Amino acid sequence: MKLRNVTPVVLAAALALSTAACGGGGGGTPSQPSGGDSKSFEFWSFSGIDQKADVDRYQKQNPGVQIKLTEVGSSVETAQALTTALAGGKVPDLVLIQGDDLPKFVQQPQNFYDLRQLGADKIKGDYLDWVMSASTAKGGEIIGIPTDVGGMAVAYRADLFKEAGLPTDREEVGKLWPTWDAFIETGKKYTAKTGKAFMDNAATSVFYQAVNQGPQKYYDPSGNVVYSTSPQVKTAFDLSLKAVQAGITAKQGTFTEGWTAGMGKGQFAVISAPSWMLGSIRRNAPDTKGKWDVATIPGGAGNWGGSYLAIPKGAKNAKAAWEYITKTQSPQGQLAHFLDAGSLPTTPSVYKDAQLIGMKDEFFSGAPIGAIYTNSLLGLKPFYIGPDSSAIGQELQNAITNVEQGKGDPAKAWDTALANVKTAIGK
Amino acid sequence: MTTSLSTSRAVQTPPALTTRVRQSIGERIAPYFYIAPFFLIFAVFGLVPLLFTFYVALFDWNPIGEHVFIGFDNFSRLLADARFWNALKNTISIWVLSTVPQLVLALLLAHLLNHARLRLAVFFRMSMLVPYITSVAATTIVFAQMFDRDYGLLNWLLGFAGVEPIDFKQSVWGSHLLIAVMVTWRWFGYTTLLYLASLQAIPRAIYEAAAVDGAGGWKQFRHISIPSLRPVIVFTVVTSTIGGLQIFTEPLLISRSQTCGAIRQCQTLTLFLYEQGFGQFQFGYGAAIGVALFVLVIVAATVNYLLSTRIRPER
Repeated sequence: MKLRNVTPVVLAAALALSTAACGGGGGGTPSQPSGGDSKSFEFWSFSGIDQKADVDRYQKQNPGVQIKLTEVGSSVETAQALTTALAGGKVPDLVLIQGDDLPKFVQQPQNFYDLRQLGADKIKGDYLDWVMSASTAKGGEIIGIPTDVGGMAVAYRADLFKEAGLPTDREEVGKLWPTWDAFIETGKKYTAKTGKAFMDNAATSVFYQAVNQGPQKYYDPSGNVVYSTSPQVKTAFDLSLKAVQAGITAKQGTFTEGWTAGMGKGQFAVISAPSWMLGSIRRNAPDTKGKWDVATIPGGAGNWGGSYLAIPKGAKNAKAAWEYITKTQSPQGQLAHFLDAGSLPTTPSVYKDAQLIGMKDEFFSGAPIGAIYTNSLLGLKPFYIGPDSSAIGQELQNAITNVEQGKGDPAKAWDTALANVKTAIGK
Repeated sequence: MTTSLSTSRAVQTPPALTTRVRQSIGERIAPYFYIAPFFLIFAVFGLVPLLFTFYVALFDWNPIGEHVFIGFDNFSRLLADARFWNALKNTISIWVLSTVPQLVLALLLAHLLNHARLRLAVFFRMSMLVPYITSVAATTIVFAQMFDRDYGLLNWLLGFAGVEPIDFKQSVWGSHLLIAVMVTWRWFGYTTLLYLASLQAIPRAIYEAAAVDGAGGWKQFRHISIPSLRPVIVFTVVTSTIGGLQIFTEPLLISRSQTCGAIRQCQTLTLFLYEQGFGQFQFGYGAAIGVALFVLVIVAATVNYLLSTRIRPER
């Protein structure tokens, strides 16, 4: 009895491991796509990014093409599922990978089709250079075509701002906070007047936004880990602690139940809003339609997020998948997706398109989100995202959250965070 | 002549004997065939993955890249890793917080159900199983909402008593308590039914005799029920120890994160294994955690075995 009960537990993981071992060796797939019926393929995406809009449009335009779209889960869960699939040998034909999860895959390019061989060389000029270079491996292999970038802005509740005696017009609101310090000062005024929290939490609404502005995040341009000495990281960290100590946060972690409930009930007036966040707000608080507006972000240009389409090496219908990429991710294709789903194109040639500049969002009081988000990318200094960026960001965020919850000592938070990152990534 | 001799010998040999020998060989082998499926399945799904885990633990194993042999480095790293000891501490704390109340509650309930002349006794007995058949995920989502800081039922009720909202998920003791409540709720009915089944095997006459001798309910419970339940109590302690080392779904779902909170306040060992193996994709390190967990289970099982052999003579 004991043995029977013990083994399944300890070894649930081992099972997956043994599958990994069986499949890991079989990498003799030819680099040119072959096989498959070139009509149907399997596509793994994550939820919340609305790839279904693209898939439906593509199937309508190309009768006879069958796309099996699976929304695996969150972006992280999708990357995990992909890793397991790559190790196990049974892979989808096309997969969407989020920017922060991409470096781990770029470091092992042998798991993917080198898209240059399918023609990526000819179209790579259509995309932002720095976005394209993130999916280019050391040997020059291109493993992913970018679908969108995460331009940044701030979403705010105009109705709540009015109650607090703050301006409600998006131009004027943007002028309230040219810097993050001014942003925190505005928060203090709001909280003093209303007694309510100003923003959802400091870790995402201040730290994650601020740390994504500037030329050097956790890695230097040649790929060395510099999180502990990068001034950009320390500044963002200190700013978020300042927001915590000002007592203007609702202490609601992003994407938790309390966050969703608080958003609907107006518990906080401001949320950081990379372009993909707008969809989340729409879905989580549908009753607040028309109460929101979007203003520019303090501190200038930056990027948070963005995704890539890649074709795993073992894909059976690589050709069909590649055709899908070229058609849907062309500048016109990305523009169409933006008009449907709101993710910002990676193709600068459409940034001046009247449809994009003129794009207004009714949910957000008719804010010109096209213009706001493209402007947030202008003058951007790209930074290198490394294989441990995601883990480093998580530990730093946890240290801030711990202070926010009243458990951590703000004076020790930075040292604790550095120690935890070191334990997590070993350097 | 020789032929006839041998024939006569053969005739002399009792035919029943040869048949019996032949049959007994078949009889000896047959049971092994009957139990073979278990051992085959165990070998495939238990032993091989187990040995493979030991093997992987010796590597820096990237699932989609290289596998570098590093010997026992993963283990020395594990012993120096504060996150491992934190996870171990959390696991033990949650186990104690959930097992002790669960077993005590189950004992008392079983005693009540065994004795009380309840209307709808069968209904009450069957309803004990409802929590057990409810999905863990559903249980967790409901409890997490009930214990929410701002919008939870519990804090709403406490608010009437003038208590400030408690943030269960963010504190160490609060998150442990929350998980323990879920585990207790889910398992106490099952344990109660186990105890009840044992209690019903005790002849009524013993209780009646005790009652005649003037023993009240509590004395009957202490001196008749508990001693006769000993083997079942040992069994439930063993199963709940193993279950306690496996707690995974509850902490994962209440926090929606692999660390279970900003300071890993409710990260259990299995969740730590999952984070390292399937979050960070350090398969080698994850396997080392799996081996450590295996050792812990063996230790726990041994302690339980010693305990149960110690009390056996008293039966």
